[in-house]
Amino acid sequence: MKILATRPERCTGCGACEIECARTWFKVDDKEKSRIRIFPPAKEGQPFRIVVCNQNGACIDVCPTVALKRAKNGVVQLNKSLCVGCLSCVGFCPNQAMFYHPDYTEPFKCVACGKCVDVCPEGALYIAEVADAPASVTDTWLQKEAV
Amino acid sequence: MSHHIAEMKAAHRLLAEFTYEKHPVQRGYTNRTLYINLSDNTIAGKPVSEEMKEKFTGGKGFGLWLLWHGIRDTTKWNDPENEIIISTGPIGGITTYPGTGKSLVVSLSPLTDSVMDSNVGGYFGPYLKFAGWDAIEIQGKAEKDVIIFIDGDTGRITIEEAPLEPVDTHLLTDILVQMYGGDDHHARRAISTVTAGSGAQHTRFGCLNFSWYDLRRRAARVKQAGRGGIGTVFRDKRIKALVVKFSDLKADSNGPADLGRLQRVGAKMHKEIHDYDDQQCGMRRHGTSYLVGIMNDYDLLPVHNFRYGSHPDGHKIDVKVWDARFTQGVPDGCWYGCTLSCSHAVDGFVLRTGPYKGQRVIVDGPEYENAAGLGANCGIFDPDYIIEANFYCDTYALDTISVGTAMAFAMECYEMGLIDKRATGGLDFRFGNAEAAIEAIHQMGRGEGFGAIIGQGVRRMKKIFAEQYGADPKILQDIGMEAKGLEFSEYMPKESLAQQGGYGLASKGPQHDEAWLIFMDMVNNQIPTMEDKAEALHYFPIWRTWFGLCGLCKLPWNDIVPPDNALTDEPAKIPEHVRNYVEIFSAVTGRQVTSEDLLLMSERVYNFQRVFNLRMGFGTREHDKIPYRAQGPVTVEEYESRAERYDKQLKALGYDVEKMSTPEKVAALRAHRESQYEKLVDAVYARRGWTKNGVPKVETLQRLGIDYPDVVEIVRRAGG
Amino acid sequence: MRVNDNLEVPWSPGMTVRDLLRQCRFTYSLITVTVNGQVIRREEYDTYPIPPGAEVRVIHLIAGG
Repeated sequence: MKILATRPERCTGCGACEIECARTWFKVDDKEKSRIRIFPPAKEGQPFRIVVCNQNGACIDVCPTVALKRAKNGVVQLNKSLCVGCLSCVGFCPNQAMFYHPDYTEPFKCVACGKCVDVCPEGALYIAEVADAPASVTDTWLQKEAV
Repeated sequence: MSHHIAEMKAAHRLLAEFTYEKHPVQRGYTNRTLYINLSDNTIAGKPVSEEMKEKFTGGKGFGLWLLWHGIRDTTKWNDPENEIIISTGPIGGITTYPGTGKSLVVSLSPLTDSVMDSNVGGYFGPYLKFAGWDAIEIQGKAEKDVIIFIDGDTGRITIEEAPLEPVDTHLLTDILVQMYGGDDHHARRAISTVTAGSGAQHTRFGCLNFSWYDLRRRAARVKQAGRGGIGTVFRDKRIKALVVKFSDLKADSNGPADLGRLQRVGAKMHKEIHDYDDQQCGMRRHGTSYLVGIMNDYDLLPVHNFRYGSHPDGHKIDVKVWDARFTQGVPDGCWYGCTLSCSHAVDGFVLRTGPYKGQRVIVDGPEYENAAGLGANCGIFDPDYIIEANFYCDTYALDTISVGTAMAFAMECYEMGLIDKRATGGLDFRFGNAEAAIEAIHQMGRGEGFGAIIGQGVRRMKKIFAEQYGADPKILQDIGMEAKGLEFSEYMPKESLAQQGGYGLASKGPQHDEAWLIFMDMVNNQIPTMEDKAEALHYFPIWRTWFGLCGLCKLPWNDIVPPDNALTDEPAKIPEHVRNYVEIFSAVTGRQVTSEDLLLMSERVYNFQRVFNLRMGFGTREHDKIPYRAQGPVTVEEYESRAERYDKQLKALGYDVEKMSTPEKVAALRAHRESQYEKLVDAVYARRGWTKNGVPKVETLQRLGIDYPDVVEIVRRAGG
Repeated sequence: MRVNDNLEVPWSPGMTVRDLLRQCRFTYSLITVTVNGQVIRREEYDTYPIPPGAEVRVIHLIAGG
């Protein structure tokens, strides 16, 4: 499956990816509306921290409305019309890569569109092809016959 | 829709219809309540005043206020004048924080003959609010079974005669989500139902089942408004079901003043649960069922009608069993966004007895109370029995706590020879006899046999056993675990004076929603003096009542704690979570409040409920008495099961225990404990601003701003 | 040795917090242990030795809902 992969050692913290993402998906230059976030190094000598969804799919099984689903290309997509904005996915993401903003009732995440890859001056971001994630518990339920 | 369901729908006869304009919810309120009278098919809206919101907040507060005005002093539970009121509260319906979808149900109880309140999860209350109504108030009685349908999508309410649908919840809920929702599962989750069952028709402790929808199981599931018999009132009014529809739920449907603040506190709390639930209580794995083993270890599990606190077979119904029986990995939250997710289910359970024998069903539970009450208290340590009994109590709509405690009482009476097979109709009603117990539950469903007698509740059973079978009323009084007419819930208060007060002084009867102090008192020894206990019995009931004003579940407050909680000044209060609730209330309503403000909201409603009890002819000190089984060893066997501990206590009081017989020691300990309880009651009344007879003083009402003329009149008459 | 000022527990040399919890049958998980006023972290229960005559508190955070 396709994911947005990172080389944090190359990141200079310029934030161009954050601005490009917010501009692409929310039409505004506001890094608080970006689906990729750059944080300063935790300690001196360590690289910048790039926080972005790697499509692991842990969120799929905590969503009360089954609004999170894995598309054919492996990307976990949020169906906004089903989402009730509970942010359970935000709390349960192992990478803390589901984001939210008070201007929107639904949270948002990286869908591996690649726009940030194009603007990163250091090549710290790239689209990678990785092994498919295992089926979620939700998938197992939905494949069964309804009770 | 299947042919079978279409037929049932076609048989509906429209009795009344009401259309209304929908308005968005503003800061947690719609500012109107819905009134329905089933005797004359009135449907009307009533405004919610600023005063009502300020003084009564919502939820239980609204329920009490509306009931106060709807009935007379002499109204009985089965008069048409009695009402059932359901309301969520201003916070109910937000989605970002766990445990924010509770409904509060208020009515007059067939068990206590006084005002009762009961809380419940599921979607109904919040959906009702988003449909346009802060509360629904149902008065009168229908001639034939009706369904009330509130279509919050179109703004239309109907009362429909519904002759064909079965009344038992597991069948009815499934039919209704299809009938009113359709075939698509997301359309079905837009429906929530309130139903009862055949057991509610034939006992005094019928409950109400409130539905939510499980999209993975693709089935409706239910939570219970358990205590007090409001399901019995529901069926007495010939209500078959309430149905609400609301399709477009969003994080801001509740109209909050500041969504961002709700998002931040919610995301933080979800992460706390993600990070710590596993190593703390494991609610996401097994809900409250883990408490069975803990209570057994600490000698606090009710066994054999609260005689003993543990049993060697306790491990057979312990958490390891439930971890294996509950299906794991599904979000079992009964309102959207509850990541504490405590409502687990046993899937694919094949029923072995009763009218639904052979059916494969989903069983909602068991929670701690069911395992302790239906199981340990009755001496039955068989998980399959507990699961089956849980299922039938749910579908028949029987309060599992009352069933457990009432059956345990009946079993002890049988074992002591106070009643025999004449009374039980041939059932060998010993502790541990699961076959007899499940048959009694089916009899409650059918309204016949010994089950129907147990279904009258402990208070009335005492009278029946004394009058019809010559049983000794003094012993019955000592071992019958009821107070105010309501059965005790499944915790052992015997060794905790504070918990005795927590149960005895609770407004509705001995339900632990007001105070749960056993560990603080007995194990932690954090409230050693009478003043400490009185302070705890002032603070905790007031704080815990607040949840019922707002539509909140208490479990996310205290069944998960932040990692640094131990280092705070008052860890028992879980200060960070209290701050979360202050934040949430402020963010929803736009009113910046403090934790003291929350306590004041609650203290008002708390005192109002006490006066309401007075109004109905109760509410004074004599009604706060508890049976001696709740306070100490009634029998020689009970004394000897803890002889070391009791001897030590008597020695400390100056008794020469070596020279005393066990009956003498039982009597001496009893005299001491009964007098301790009276001293505790004195201390608590003083702390609460009540007279020595338990009546709120006028100056207390004035301080709280609830000194309405009719309220003051009642307390003055009672010497307040 | 007294735990929570109300439970007599016999002390033995080398007794750890974990030993004490076992002896008292304190099986509940949401607890805070302090020894002479100092909070002992959960990770140390198996190794922290309780000094003789210590004032030990084992506070259970459990409130039922």
